Amino acid sequence: MAGKRTKIKGKPAGRFVTTTVEVEGRVETRLVELPAFEPTPWGESARLDIVGRRAPRVDALEKVTGRARYTVDVKRGGLLHAAILRSPIAHGRLVKLDLAPALAIPGVRAAISRTEIPAIASESGHLFQSEILYAGQPVAAVCADTPQIARRALGAIVTRYESAKHAVTIADALAPGAPRVRARGNLNAAPRIIARGDAIRALKTADVVITREYRTGTALHSALEPHGAVAEWEVDRLTVWESTQGVFNVRDDLAAAFELPVTQVRVLQDHMGGGFGAKNGASTNAYVAALLSRTAGRPVRCINDREAEQSDSGNRPATVQRVSLGARRDGTLVAITLDAEACLGVGGWEGGPARFFHELYACPNVHTREQFVLTHTGAMASFRAPGHVEGAFGLERAMDELARVLAIDPLALRLKNLAKKNPANGAPYSANHLAECYRDGAKRFGWAKRPKRSGGSIRRGFGMAAQVWGGGGGPPAYALVRLNPDGTAEVIVGTQDLGTGSRTVFAQIAAEALGAKLARVRVVLGDTERTPYTGNSWGSITVASVGPAVRMAAEDARSQLLEAASGMLGASAKRLESRDGKVRVRGGRRVISFAQIGERLGQVMIIGRGSRGPNPEGRSLSTFGVQFAEVEVDVDTGIVRVVRIVASHDCGRIVNPTLAESQLEGGIIQGLGYALFEERAMDRALGVPLNPNLHDYKLPTMADSPIIDARFVNHADPKANHVGSRGAGEPPIIPTAPAIANAVADALGCEVREIPLTPWRVLAQIRRA
Amino acid sequence: MRLTINGETHDVAAAPEETLLGVLRGRLDLMGTKLVCGRGECGACTVHLDGDPAYSCITLAAACDGAAVTTIEGVADGDALHPLQAAFIEHDALQCGMCTPGQIMSALALFGRNPDPSAAEVTRWMSGNLCRCGAYPKIARAVLAAAQAMREARGR
Repeated sequence: MAGKRTKIKGKPAGRFVTTTVEVEGRVETRLVELPAFEPTPWGESARLDIVGRRAPRVDALEKVTGRARYTVDVKRGGLLHAAILRSPIAHGRLVKLDLAPALAIPGVRAAISRTEIPAIASESGHLFQSEILYAGQPVAAVCADTPQIARRALGAIVTRYESAKHAVTIADALAPGAPRVRARGNLNAAPRIIARGDAIRALKTADVVITREYRTGTALHSALEPHGAVAEWEVDRLTVWESTQGVFNVRDDLAAAFELPVTQVRVLQDHMGGGFGAKNGASTNAYVAALLSRTAGRPVRCINDREAEQSDSGNRPATVQRVSLGARRDGTLVAITLDAEACLGVGGWEGGPARFFHELYACPNVHTREQFVLTHTGAMASFRAPGHVEGAFGLERAMDELARVLAIDPLALRLKNLAKKNPANGAPYSANHLAECYRDGAKRFGWAKRPKRSGGSIRRGFGMAAQVWGGGGGPPAYALVRLNPDGTAEVIVGTQDLGTGSRTVFAQIAAEALGAKLARVRVVLGDTERTPYTGNSWGSITVASVGPAVRMAAEDARSQLLEAASGMLGASAKRLESRDGKVRVRGGRRVISFAQIGERLGQVMIIGRGSRGPNPEGRSLSTFGVQFAEVEVDVDTGIVRVVRIVASHDCGRIVNPTLAESQLEGGIIQGLGYALFEERAMDRALGVPLNPNLHDYKLPTMADSPIIDARFVNHADPKANHVGSRGAGEPPIIPTAPAIANAVADALGCEVREIPLTPWRVLAQIRRA
Repeated sequence: MRLTINGETHDVAAAPEETLLGVLRGRLDLMGTKLVCGRGECGACTVHLDGDPAYSCITLAAACDGAAVTTIEGVADGDALHPLQAAFIEHDALQCGMCTPGQIMSALALFGRNPDPSAAEVTRWMSGNLCRCGAYPKIARAVLAAAQAMREARGR
């Protein structure tokens, strides 16, 4: 947030070249150091023992015994507890603030507001600023000996606000005379227009044109571990534990805010209770903990309570999408247009629905226009496939409506418009098995044999939707692999495991490349001081970015290991192979274990170094998938029950099928919540969120979970990177909501154009039809 | 006040407004039980009070005087995992793991009432425990597998 970013100037030289990297749709040209060597890609026919195995999660034991330590569990001697005072009004000014009564309470150790702290950038402007732009905006903080005292102290702070009119919905913000969120108005910037061909003209000449309006609600990440941090100063050195998707990003943010060299800031994280996109930099909690800790001279813990987490930690923006599709009679798309609004709240970034419209189908003429609307609500944040989830609802719903108008099967219509190259830029894919996903999913689901619409009060319906997303990853990412005298190995890498299983996947990749036993490999991560750099875990890039660095480090360690073993076995290193924790002479009997080699080496260490090389030139690195849904709709109550989902996805090589299936199931269940239940409700009169808790904001439960058939076509993609994997974190959530909504429309025999499909929306739709 | 937690007796001077969860985490360093919603909505803080499941985030510590409390830390027998914990590992019934202690405590409470639950009974019972990662299909599988493993162990 507050980070000073250095621009790359001049041309890189020698081993330093540039490469293109995509993260959540944002394409960047980055400087990259060419690795010292590139391992031979693990292609489709590579014989691998540990990669591809259904190994149990390496940290499962800690998690089932309650021993796993999360940021919320960090304890330090003399720890103080922080609490943040938040604005009750949505718009206006804090005209009076008196901390003295809070500081007078025994056990209160420090209190801060805007006047006590340096300028720290926040989504609304500056931390603790007096200009109030949304309800829940932080205005002050205290720390005390116990959480109870800290909460009591908040109540003692004297405040007076002058409130102004607010606008908390897209419609209110765009109405004539609407109160302004920013001086520049309620549009974040000029509309973003992306176009290829001439869609307006193509719509005029199309055989069939449909124009529809779709709406999606504001969804909340609701990670069970809230945003939070623990900060501790030792003179001028700052140590922060933070629940984050990027320890290095947090380090850089904090170093910039406190004007410290990065050597003076250490950011740590062991286990993490979910992020889903909302934890990409230093949080308010980290700044507050560090500021209070500096004032109080003791470690401070600052964890969001659930209300703060559900109202001021990001969201998936609500959208309105006016979609036109033009097609020939045979279903060939000739034009796609989108005119959309997305609601950023007070800030965030322009993650809109449009790019999905450019990427999924081969269509020569596409025109999208997005307006990003500012409202007096908390800022948006990336949320699992930001933009694509919203866009998939608009486009994939419209495709079904077009199929009905054309009397073409929805699957046939999609196959007709299958993209052979990336339609957005014309580049060939590193690999694309979407056609196989369609075939595999349809067969498994029984799409061709699905029954016709039923009568009665419980109606059954069938729907499908497809997905495209990036997830190819890229540099920079570094890893070290260290062999110990007892034959164990450590992977030292600056990444994090949000709960996705990256720790397990990297242990598998390292064990494979090294020829070690999986149980003898430990992954050390989440520490900016003691691990080499890797970037944020976002954009489904972690396995594809970090995996190759881990593999290379392990290969580097292995070649040193074989060199050491060659003298011990009396054979040249070229004739040796390592497997299952042993080195043996190929085709011979002589064998030596890693532990025996380690014993002979003593404290002479083998350290392998790996880095992520550049991406292939001129290739699109994308992930694909298709989901099929069967639903039951009770037309008397409006309740939708999802009976089953069949999902077939292409994410390249699957390193661990069990963990990948867990990702798929989890994404589908989140997508189900987005389709049916999840919606932040705002009180338009008061400008405050109505459901900032886990009771009124409805998350899916076990009873809502359908039967899920989670499948991967599982083809290695050696053109993408030498591990052959692309991302699997975000793709699964993208097609779920439109597949479910398409099934609901099929069940009802009338279109549904707004999610979540709560009972009252379903009933209203039935009445209208 | 005296609490018996996982078989160990603790004398605790908790404030009247302190919750059982606050005492477990704040005073006794038993960090396995998690605070997620703070209002008895998500089940992450589930512990057993005299064998019955309870939301420790909305249970006052003072109300537990003399009670036997079991937390996630008391489920395994030393290094020997409970069959339910083993099933959670085997079936990958967790992702981030924040809800896992509560899921395990809830399922154990179910076994206490019904050692032979059907899939529908598991689903109904476990639906008070939220999991944002969406591990539900595998949690259901793990709970049913553990029930079966425990039945088989009893039958031997």
